Amino acid sequence: MTLNHLAYYYLWVAPHVLQSILLVVLVRRGLHRQFPMFVFYTGFEVLQCGVLLAVSQRLSNFGPVYVQVFAVGLALSTAIRFGVIYELFRHFFQRYPALTGPGRFVFRGATVLLLLIAVALAISAPGGAADKISRAATYSALDVTTLALDRAVTMLQCGLLVSLFLFSRYFVLSWRSHAFGIALGLGVFASTELAISAVRLYVTDPHNVLDLFVMGAYQVCVLVWMFYLMSPARESQYSLKKLPDHDLEIWNRELQRLIQQ
Amino acid sequence: MTITLILVFVAFLALVLLLTLARGHASTLKVSENPAEHIRSVDVEAFRNLIDPDEEEFLRTSLQPAEFRKIQRERLRAAVDYVSCAATNAAILLRLAEAARRGSNPATAEAAGKLIDDAIRLRFFAFHALARLYLGMVLPGTRVSSVRIAESYEQMTRRVVMLGLQYPTHGVSAAL
Repeated sequence: MTLNHLAYYYLWVAPHVLQSILLVVLVRRGLHRQFPMFVFYTGFEVLQCGVLLAVSQRLSNFGPVYVQVFAVGLALSTAIRFGVIYELFRHFFQRYPALTGPGRFVFRGATVLLLLIAVALAISAPGGAADKISRAATYSALDVTTLALDRAVTMLQCGLLVSLFLFSRYFVLSWRSHAFGIALGLGVFASTELAISAVRLYVTDPHNVLDLFVMGAYQVCVLVWMFYLMSPARESQYSLKKLPDHDLEIWNRELQRLIQQ
Repeated sequence: MTITLILVFVAFLALVLLLTLARGHASTLKVSENPAEHIRSVDVEAFRNLIDPDEEEFLRTSLQPAEFRKIQRERLRAAVDYVSCAATNAAILLRLAEAARRGSNPATAEAAGKLIDDAIRLRFFAFHALARLYLGMVLPGTRVSSVRIAESYEQMTRRVVMLGLQYPTHGVSAAL
């Protein structure tokens, strides 16, 4: 087994082993009630890894069956990731009811805009370097389509996560450390995957070097999740702990008076 | 090849932006450590004067178009400063209210929750107002439609909520 193979298998299996540990911790801490989609996503990723490993070792050794299973798994995983992103937006809507209007507007607006960009990208981008590699014709098209869709969707997810961070930054919202960790990990992974999927358009990758980059980014992403989700929940801390009650009442009365003017 | 380069650039930009915003998330907390220092006092009456549509009309009719455009740009620039100050103050109040909301007193938490809602609304209004003001600065000679300008002026009045917070106490309320 070459060093390349060793790295490949390590980066494939290790993050999912870590994710299975994370899954246990999440359930034991009751975080599945707070972030059900994320817990489902973590479980799905572990399961997908197991299935793909089994298929690659027993059935087709990265052949047509593997590509088909991979494509279905990727589609499902991507859809669940959208759910996780929506869950993060919802996390803010629940904590800050005043955000529901502008928040939904930003989420929908950003989704539509990014969807248009992603569709334009999918149409204008070339077929990809994958078709230059000699593979069986039966699954080459599926492989190329999967990569093209993955690129478009990654762009969409990356944009939504950046929008989420910009949104929270503008409204100076405090994140709970768990939600922050989930968003940061997903964002790092989505942006790296976007860059790699773009490079794939023109670069053939016979030694799976690009795959190693993506898998490495996923490893980082899982480590970020572990760091934030296995630590005790934190919120923004302020040295000014207590304000006199009457201050808040007066400020709020003044704010309401002026808003209603 | 162009698409690849653009995508790689966009992805890199997104990554840098995410990491910068994530780092900024931690650093913004420092603002609350001494909030009064960061509050910028805003003169509500002066601001109302500045965005008064009658005043604008008076200037439009009394001045030469070129001169009016120049003055109008200056007025809008000043208005942008006012709105920015109000938005900044709202952000600081939001932080303070967040801290207060975590307190054990339910009444304080409720009042803080209302303050958070109002401060968020103000930031939202400020965002709209700034966009309209910048548009007005780009096209100062044109009537962006008097009704819309009036509306945006009304909205801007709401944005400077902090100006109404004349409060003779130490710390933040005194600094407003």
